Amino acid sequence: MDPTDAYVDAAAAALGLHIAGEYRSAVIGYFRLAASMAECVMAVPLTEADESASVFVPVAPLSDDEEQPR
Amino acid sequence: MTAMATHTAEQVRSGATSARAVVQASLDRIAHSDPGINAFSSVLAERALKRADAVDASPRRSRMKLAGVPFAVKNLFDVAGLPTLAGSKIERDHAPAARDALLVRRLEAEGAVLVGALHMDEYAYGFTTENTHYGPTRNPHDTSRVAGGSSGGSSAAVAAGQVPLTLGSDTNGSIRVPSSLCGVFGLKPTFGRLPRTGSYPFVASLDHLGPFARSVADLALAYDAMQGHDARDPACAERDPAPTAALLQRGAGGLRIGVLGGWFREMALPAATAAVDQVAEALGTSRLVEWADVEAARAAAFLITCAEGSELHLDDLRSRAADFDPMTRDRFLANALIPAAWATRAQRVRAQFARRVAKSFETVDVLLAPSTPCVAPTIGTASLQIAGRTLPARASLGLLTQPISCIGLPVVSVPLWGLDDDAPHLPIGVQLIAAPWREDLCLRVAAALEAQGVCSAPIAP
Repeated sequence: MDPTDAYVDAAAAALGLHIAGEYRSAVIGYFRLAASMAECVMAVPLTEADESASVFVPVAPLSDDEEQPR
Repeated sequence: MTAMATHTAEQVRSGATSARAVVQASLDRIAHSDPGINAFSSVLAERALKRADAVDASPRRSRMKLAGVPFAVKNLFDVAGLPTLAGSKIERDHAPAARDALLVRRLEAEGAVLVGALHMDEYAYGFTTENTHYGPTRNPHDTSRVAGGSSGGSSAAVAAGQVPLTLGSDTNGSIRVPSSLCGVFGLKPTFGRLPRTGSYPFVASLDHLGPFARSVADLALAYDAMQGHDARDPACAERDPAPTAALLQRGAGGLRIGVLGGWFREMALPAATAAVDQVAEALGTSRLVEWADVEAARAAAFLITCAEGSELHLDDLRSRAADFDPMTRDRFLANALIPAAWATRAQRVRAQFARRVAKSFETVDVLLAPSTPCVAPTIGTASLQIAGRTLPARASLGLLTQPISCIGLPVVSVPLWGLDDDAPHLPIGVQLIAAPWREDLCLRVAAALEAQGVCSAPIAP
């Protein structure tokens, strides 16, 4: 079996996703499209200093004098 | 004839006309025109007329900035008493929203009147509003063509003169693409500017909300009324409102303007580059600016969309995949499977691109690019020829918007006309792009172009 097809089947199983027979070919096609996007992204040189754009902001409790949002 | 929002508000404030009369006229236009357009998923006549009467009777009426202005919202905005469909069949089963979305409440606090909810691509995952559950939303300027998406109902309702103001959302282009294809003004603010509280998400890392209108003054009026931090949207920036309406008159004089090259020229058909060139000439610029790694930025936004969009719907993909729109289902299924490394790397590439683009804005104020590669395709079009390649039509409509929204830059899409020789009746949009938090610059340049007659948003005949 083609490795991409095998990955799609295995990843779907790992996620508990049943991909109906009539959807499988299209799903594999779209996965290949995502893979082509990934090739472009993975080719960009980065260093360990290049951190994620997604940054966690800790949530502080509301103080007594802070208003509840309207 | 639908008056502009600014004019309507003046008339209702002064008592020259009543909010009820304005809203009734809007409801009549919707009833007459919507069977041919399919913009509206719900029309809220009883609520709207009750609200209009309240505006007319209000002691605050003479101070309401949007007094009596009818508006409608993409059906991913919560509307009290309606299930928030987000273009789906699945969400019909859910409890109705208890409260209006925050931006709806802010507009109504200024006297605007919600008249209904608007069609969209299912779960916002599309650029054409060809929704299998509800039928396509048609372009009012040519009903054989798409209105764009995913906020197609929002753009069509304004283009058809049903209401002067609508709200939509933009993750990878879903305000700018339909604005371009329907010939209206659209604003995608900076990521984190307008709170998304009370709206159905698609990709939390990329979702923006914003207005559509037929004039820049109307866009600014609505945008100003909606600004303000809200802690319930974790992505909403803690910034004070920065009103723009009074700044429009400053125009574009003194601003440094450039044209984006590279990807933004290569992946555009002649009508799109001609539109940008016309805007550049009107603004007196021939300066070309090129960014590196634009294709990678687009791909990064694509992968972030894959990961977050699919994870949000994973439970339904497991239990009821057949209830998704076939236009989204197989994409959501495939995208749920991407390796973590792809999405994680995409966020790092995104950050790097944002830093590099910020550098370019040290020497330029506003950059120009097409909003779409082409004018509106006919409904059902599967592929387009772009840059010598056959590309899938629907995904390709967002090629030029996706790299920009990837890094949350504010954009106004302005409509131009007559640039496609094969379809001279159709509009196409140009993105006016500024650095983060500089919506004022985008709006000033848009106003200058409108005053010169370069851009306009006539109601479809």
